Amino acid sequence: MFKKADNNALWAIGISLVLFFIGGIITTVVPPLVDTSWSKPFENRDPAKGVTGKLSPLTDLQKQGRAIYVREGCWYCHTQQIRTLLADTKRYGWRGVDAPISTPDEFVYDDPHMFGTKRTGPDLARVGGKYDTQWHRTHFRNPRDLVKGSIMPAYPWIVANPQEFNAMVAYLQSLGRSKDWRPANDYEK
Amino acid sequence: MQPQFSKAEAANAPEGAILHDDATAKWFLVSSVAYFFIVGIIAVIIAAKFVWPDLMGTMSWLTYGRLRPLHVNGMLFGWLLAADMGLAYYVIPRLCGVKLWSEKLGLATAALWNVIILGAVVTLLAGVNQGWEYAELPWYLDVLVVVAWIMFGINIFMTVANRKYQAMYVTIWYTMGCILWTAFVYLTGNFATLFATGTNQANLNWMYVHNAVGLIFTPIGLAIAYYFIPRASNTPLHSHKLSMVGFWSLAFVYVWTGAHHMLHGPISQWLQTISIAFSLMLLIPVWAVVYNLFATMKGQWHQLRESVPLKFLMSGVVFYLLTCFQGPMHSLRTVNAIVSKTDWIPGHAHMAVLGCFSFFAIAGTYYAVPRIWNKALHSDSLANWSYWMLMIGGLGFFTTLWLGGFWQGWQWNNVSIPFIDTVIALKPIWIVRFVSGLMMFTGIVLFAYNILATALGNPEEAAV
Repeated sequence: MFKKADNNALWAIGISLVLFFIGGIITTVVPPLVDTSWSKPFENRDPAKGVTGKLSPLTDLQKQGRAIYVREGCWYCHTQQIRTLLADTKRYGWRGVDAPISTPDEFVYDDPHMFGTKRTGPDLARVGGKYDTQWHRTHFRNPRDLVKGSIMPAYPWIVANPQEFNAMVAYLQSLGRSKDWRPANDYEK
Repeated sequence: MQPQFSKAEAANAPEGAILHDDATAKWFLVSSVAYFFIVGIIAVIIAAKFVWPDLMGTMSWLTYGRLRPLHVNGMLFGWLLAADMGLAYYVIPRLCGVKLWSEKLGLATAALWNVIILGAVVTLLAGVNQGWEYAELPWYLDVLVVVAWIMFGINIFMTVANRKYQAMYVTIWYTMGCILWTAFVYLTGNFATLFATGTNQANLNWMYVHNAVGLIFTPIGLAIAYYFIPRASNTPLHSHKLSMVGFWSLAFVYVWTGAHHMLHGPISQWLQTISIAFSLMLLIPVWAVVYNLFATMKGQWHQLRESVPLKFLMSGVVFYLLTCFQGPMHSLRTVNAIVSKTDWIPGHAHMAVLGCFSFFAIAGTYYAVPRIWNKALHSDSLANWSYWMLMIGGLGFFTTLWLGGFWQGWQWNNVSIPFIDTVIALKPIWIVRFVSGLMMFTGIVLFAYNILATALGNPEEAAV
C-alpha cells in the first residue's frame, strides 16, 4: 500500500488524508458529541452534589470588559482554569477555602475561550470577588504600587477611561462565579 | 538525468540543461529573511520587558499583550513558513526535473503573502485579536492565507504532476503532506472555531496549535532537511524504507495529540489519555527520521567543519531529537503537573521553532541563495559567526528557561510560597534569557546581512 505511494502521487495524497482524518475526526468531532458537559451550561441546586450555582450568559458590560481582556492579550500571561491539582485548588482558593476545580460546563458561553497556556501571572479562573474595585483601579494604574516585584504592564489608559475600566472590572468580578464557592457570599465588589 | 541549473548560472550550464527561473523562490526568501530581522527586534523587546516591565510601556500598542502575537505570527508566518515555501519553490522543481509549473502564479503568491504579513503587523499592533493562540489574525487575513495557500498548493502539485522522474523522493511526500494537512489544520483552527465555544472551541484551537507545529512546520522542515543534508554533504540518503516509516507514522500519529495542551484541565479525561498515548507514539516517526539522517552522515561528519549549511542542518536534527523527546515526556501527567504553564514551555517551543525548523530553513537559504543568484556567499566567516551566535544564544535561552521553568513549577506546587515570590525568583532567569536573546538576534542580523549582501551584491563574483 505504501510502496505504491512512491510512484503514484494521487495514491500518496489519498493515504495521507485518510490517516490524518482518522485521528482528526475522533479527537475533534466526536468529543463534543459524547461529552454533553461541553455544551450544557453549569447548574446545580443541590448542595449534596457539590458546589451550587448557575452559569448565566455575560451582561453587555461584562462582554465589553471581556473584549478588552482579549484585545490587550491578558490571556497570554493569565490562564483561566483550576486544574485537578492541589497546587491549583489550594493556591487559587481564598481565605482558607479551596477553589473548586474548573469543569467544561462553566465555559459554555466563552467565545473566544480564555483557558490560556502560560502563567506568567496568577490564574484568574476564580478571581471574581477576590479584590474590590479600588484595588483593581490602583493595580491597573501601576501593578507595582500594590504588588512589589510584579512584571505586569501598567494600563493607565484603561483606568483613565471610566467606560473601559468599569467594563473590565465587571468582567473580572464575574470570573469563576457561576460556582458559588465562597461561604456566606463573601465576595468583594 | 538531465543536468539542472539556475537561470543565473546559464553561462556555465551545458547545452540541453534545465534552467530554473527561481523568481518565486527569490522573492519568498528575500522577504522572509527581512521579516526574520524585523520580528527579531520585537523578540528582543519582549525579552527585555520581562526584566524591565515599564520599558516602552507608555503606549498601548507597544505593551507585551500586543507585541507577543506579533512576535509569534511574524516569526511563524512572516519568516519561517515563507522561507520554507521559498525553499519548496526551489527544491520541488529540481526533484521533479521540470521547471516550476507557473512562475507568474508563484510571484502573485509571494506578493499576496507580503500583503498578509504587513496586514498582520498593522492589525495586531492595533489590538485586533481573535483571542486564539496562533490564530490571532482577523478573519479577512485568514481568508487571504487560505487563498495564498491554495495558490502555493496548485503550483507545487502541478509541478509534481508534470514530473519527469516517476519515483518521488521523500521530500516531495513531505511537501505534499504539508500542503494537504495544513489546509485542514488551518481551517480547523481559524474557521471551525467560529462555530464553537468554551471547551469545544479550545479543543479545536489546540488541535490547530499543536498541528501547526506537527503537521505544518514539521513536514515542510523535514522536507528541507531530507533534501539539503544529502545535497550539502554529497552523500546518498541512508535508507528509503526508514524514511517511509517516518513519514507514514507521522501522518497517522500527530493529529491525535492536541488535548495534551489541556492535561489536568477542564476537558474529558479519556481525551487527555488518548493525547498522552499518541504523544508517546510520536517517538516512532521522530527516531526513524533522526536515525536516518544521522546514518546518512556516517563517515561524513568531518564535512561539518567546512560547511555552514551542514552545521545548521545537523544541529537542527539534534534539536529535533531533543524537542521531540521533551514533548512526549511532558505530556505524561506527573511531569506535566510540574512544567505545564511555566517558562519551561517557551524554552521547549523555541527549541522546536528556532533550534530545529529555523535552523533547517537557514541552512537551506545559505545553500540555495548563492546558487540562485550565481554568486559566491558574501562572507563565509560571517556565516560561521551567525551559526555560533544562534547556537550559543539558543542553548543559553533553552536551558535557562527549562531550569527556570522546572524550578517555577516546583515552587507553584508548594502552596505556601506566594505567587509573586515565584515571579521575583525568576528574574535572574529572565536576565539570562534577554542576554541569550541578544546573541540570537546578533546571529539573525549576521545571517540576514550575509544573504541580502549576496543577493544584492557585486555580480562579478561567481559561485564555485
